[in-house]
Amino acid sequence: MNKARRILSSILIASLVFSSMAQAAPTALISTEQAAAAMQAAPRSEAHAKLQAALDRDDLATMLQARGVSVDELRARVNALTDAEAQQMLEQIDQAPAGSSDVLGVLFTVFVILLVTDILGLTKVFPFTRSVR
Amino acid sequence: MIARILAAATALLLTGCATVFTPPQTAALLDKPPQDLPARVERSAVPFFAQTRDHCGPAALATALADVGLPADPDRLADAVFLPSRSGTLQLEMLGGARRQGAVATQLPGELEALLREVAAGHAVIVLQNLGLALIPRWHYAVVVGYDLGTHEIILRSGTTQREVMALRTFEYTWARGGRWAITALPPRQLPATAREAEAQDAAVGFERAAPPAQAALAYEALLARWPGNLLAGIGLGNTRFAAGDMVGARTAFQAAAERHDSAVAWINLARLRLDAGDRNGARTAAENAIKRADVSEPAWRDAARATLAATNEH
Repeated sequence: MNKARRILSSILIASLVFSSMAQAAPTALISTEQAAAAMQAAPRSEAHAKLQAALDRDDLATMLQARGVSVDELRARVNALTDAEAQQMLEQIDQAPAGSSDVLGVLFTVFVILLVTDILGLTKVFPFTRSVR
Repeated sequence: MIARILAAATALLLTGCATVFTPPQTAALLDKPPQDLPARVERSAVPFFAQTRDHCGPAALATALADVGLPADPDRLADAVFLPSRSGTLQLEMLGGARRQGAVATQLPGELEALLREVAAGHAVIVLQNLGLALIPRWHYAVVVGYDLGTHEIILRSGTTQREVMALRTFEYTWARGGRWAITALPPRQLPATAREAEAQDAAVGFERAAPPAQAALAYEALLARWPGNLLAGIGLGNTRFAAGDMVGARTAFQAAAERHDSAVAWINLARLRLDAGDRNGARTAAENAIKRADVSEPAWRDAARATLAATNEH
């Protein structure tokens, strides 16, 4: 009985020690992008969070899927942008026609269309004829 | 009769254009070709992926990736970068798509000479062209694989044409209408010949976000090799080595960056890694340096520096 108690208490002590160690472990390193953001005095990757949050909307997902874009794929694409690029994308939202009650439309526009009109470029192939030199 | 006059006038106008209106960069380049630029280069070995439907973005990306031996399957890339509803691919997604395939995508300066120099250096260059007019754009991605200053031509892998030969001046017009956008997609150890420091740095940071840390560390090493004074490359090297499990290498990188730049971020990260390694005194010294620096010129890191110092006293 006494032995069992001793074993139990040592297990408890050990687990307490380990859990306190886990908490006291140094916090995560400052990431490269955080450092870059501080250097450029640009906003942190809130932009990513906001874009990802927008993609949580069911109505937007439905709308995107209707156009053949999967939300998961779009998430991966947003994730592959740098902070600066995500910020650029977010700014498009702010610059969308003000006073629009159609939030969904604005988001959709940003994710699919505004990126394009900003000469970010979509492609269309036309046979090209060689011009006179 | 009127038709004939019109035709004659058009012909005059066209020849006039051709001789008088050569776009500025082409004119400068042909007028005084740089001494160290070969007059003619063609990289015949660059593979070709004929595009299907509107998939010129994925096809161009696959061409550049295959050229450096990275996995390149246009159909799979199409899932990654193609927007079905818009029948096209966005430039940002070309960058992201390349990164996710293990290539560092770097934007090049908007100069014709830079494109030719990259080709001469053995790199495939992805370009965005507007084959239409500014008002009625016809966007198109192609890959530059050669040029001939003697015949004023540029050679592309383009659409369904394996070897498209285009007049340099025509190319410059279409490229300028596309915003003079050009990138290379290279393995992390290689840097484009003409990239500027800012673009190369952006490329490496973007690559870190999408690539395995050990690969990203290589990109930062390459960046540091060319621009040893780049602070962010030092910090990125430390972070990616840490993420890849190379603790000793990470500490070395942060220490080098901290000593060279007296950067608060480098000191803080160095302190945290030293603490991880059980070097409490070393951690404390680094944290104190971080606080000193943050107080003087990097106030954004004041709290983080103090929290780090506190952590060195805790356990």
